[in-house]
Amino acid sequence: MSFLRLQGIQKRYGPVSVINGVDIAAEAGEFVVFVGPSGCGKSTLLRMIAGLEEVTSGQVFIDGQDVTGTEPAKRQVSMVFQSYALFPHMSVRDNIAFGLKMSKVPKSEIDRQVAEAARILQMENLLDRRPRQLSGGQRQRVAIGRAIVRHPKLFLFDEPLSNLDAELRSQMRVEIARLHRDLGVTMVYVTHDQVEAMTLADRIVVLRGGKVEQIGSPQTLYDRPVNTFVAGFIGSPKMNFVAATLTGRDARTVTVAHSSLATPVRIALRDDAQTKGPSVGDTVTLGLRPEHLVLGDGPNRMILTADIVESLGGSTLIYGQTKARETMILEAPGRRTLTKGETLSVGFDAAQAYLFDATGQAI
Amino acid sequence: MASRSNGRILHGFGLLAVFAVAIFPVYWMVSSSFKTQTDLLASPPVWLFTPTLGNYAEVFADQKVTSAVVNSLIVAVFSTALAVVLGTPAAFALARYDFRGKSDLWFWFISNRFISPIALALPIYILAQGLGLLDTHLVLILVYITFILPIVVWICTDQFRSIPKELEEAARLEGASQFDIFWRIYLPLGLPGIAVSAIFGFIFSWNELLYALVLTRRDVQTAPVVATSFMSGYELPWGKIMATGTVIVLPVTIFALLVSRHMVRGLTMGATK
Repeated sequence: MSFLRLQGIQKRYGPVSVINGVDIAAEAGEFVVFVGPSGCGKSTLLRMIAGLEEVTSGQVFIDGQDVTGTEPAKRQVSMVFQSYALFPHMSVRDNIAFGLKMSKVPKSEIDRQVAEAARILQMENLLDRRPRQLSGGQRQRVAIGRAIVRHPKLFLFDEPLSNLDAELRSQMRVEIARLHRDLGVTMVYVTHDQVEAMTLADRIVVLRGGKVEQIGSPQTLYDRPVNTFVAGFIGSPKMNFVAATLTGRDARTVTVAHSSLATPVRIALRDDAQTKGPSVGDTVTLGLRPEHLVLGDGPNRMILTADIVESLGGSTLIYGQTKARETMILEAPGRRTLTKGETLSVGFDAAQAYLFDATGQAI
Repeated sequence: MASRSNGRILHGFGLLAVFAVAIFPVYWMVSSSFKTQTDLLASPPVWLFTPTLGNYAEVFADQKVTSAVVNSLIVAVFSTALAVVLGTPAAFALARYDFRGKSDLWFWFISNRFISPIALALPIYILAQGLGLLDTHLVLILVYITFILPIVVWICTDQFRSIPKELEEAARLEGASQFDIFWRIYLPLGLPGIAVSAIFGFIFSWNELLYALVLTRRDVQTAPVVATSFMSGYELPWGKIMATGTVIVLPVTIFALLVSRHMVRGLTMGATK
């Protein structure tokens, strides 16, 4: 039985429906990341697990117990807020001890637990400071400390790193991963940043418009996205999409043509698409990841017109246009200098190409 | 450059003029309280004089003045404290909960301040007489609470609304009850608003003349009533009136100075972001 289970969750604010029947299950000790664009309902879903938001219909189970109508404090969950939500008039020590005081834990035990949390998060010397005397990263650590001391069954993180600068963000990302490894507790993490999702998650839940688009390991989502939305969301820079025409198909493969392709490309169909899917003459979407495109090399060739070059130091992002004026990005190692309008020959491996039907579903 | 510094000078003069107009009556009151009756009535007025404490000696020797100051203190302290004790939970509920009739209730609190005090003076007098409360501290405290409570509710609701909701949610997740949230989070963080409303309330109670005049006779006359009572008879004791005025202004000034350090906003800084 799953440790955390959301069953048929719906949420409506009056006539507006924000969560439309979500089913998610997570095993004990798993790190699950909810990812999606803003307004997809990921934070609402997290708040419903916490009990801060009422569920319109459906059930929430934590550790085998139906907690749908249970008070937040009785669910044994801890939450780290995007804004940290530290109590500004209390010292770091009192912030961390707050929940224990509320649970009437003896003072000696509170002191021991606070010291333990401070040791884990390396902030022993900050305990007597006020939140306003701390940097963003330190505040985030206090918020995590406050969550740790209560030994919750479930950790909830609501975009905890989005107020930090890039360097601190990657540093805290590693710390959260380490914390998960050391504590072994189930964690649910909400973010709109796909890099955080890819690096932290055991499993990612991609949400859009209050519905689950796909659930799977980061690798599965990268390798086998179920539709153009997931394909475009996972991976950075995002996948290139071009409209191609199906010119031939047999039981296991299809051939697609595009005005910028030197020759039609033969691509293997997914197992579930072999009996159905589009027929010859239909328009399909060809998906190519920027990191899979190679300048001037590869078994299949595409002709692009160079537009803009962005140097990232170690690698270069090259923006080109197809004959149909579709923008494509390719990531090339090293430094490149190109002039605008230059013709580029770009190669790729058909095994790394993705194909989607007219509705955007992977085939 | 020249026009900018000219502007500054003009700005400075403007400020000085406003300050002088505001402070002059206070200066005149305080300086007059140290003058003899002859200096006080001199025409043209004297600016340089030998100060005397005679007026203060007279004021403090007068049992009426000292007991009036004590009465004023009792009434102002209790009415302000009770209004804060009653008003802050009301403000918390208005700021944080949704319930039927919330906006009507909110408007009702404000509308209490629409009525001219004189309009209610007679009904309240009759009520107090019927209850046998005339000339007691209690009647003034009760009446003043009805005036101060809207101010407390008004200011504190606004103050509580500005406290990030995540703090309440974090506390709820940590197992805090509604009372804990009010007591441990909202009250300490709402201190600036509470301080401001307490100052307003105290000043109102301290200075109130109309109801103090109507509802008291002899036993619980407050300071403003006693100060005005000197303005009768054949010869006006200006020195004594000015010294009494100065004595009346002092406690409220000290109170405002003490509480004003809590008025500094930014206590919530560091809570979020």
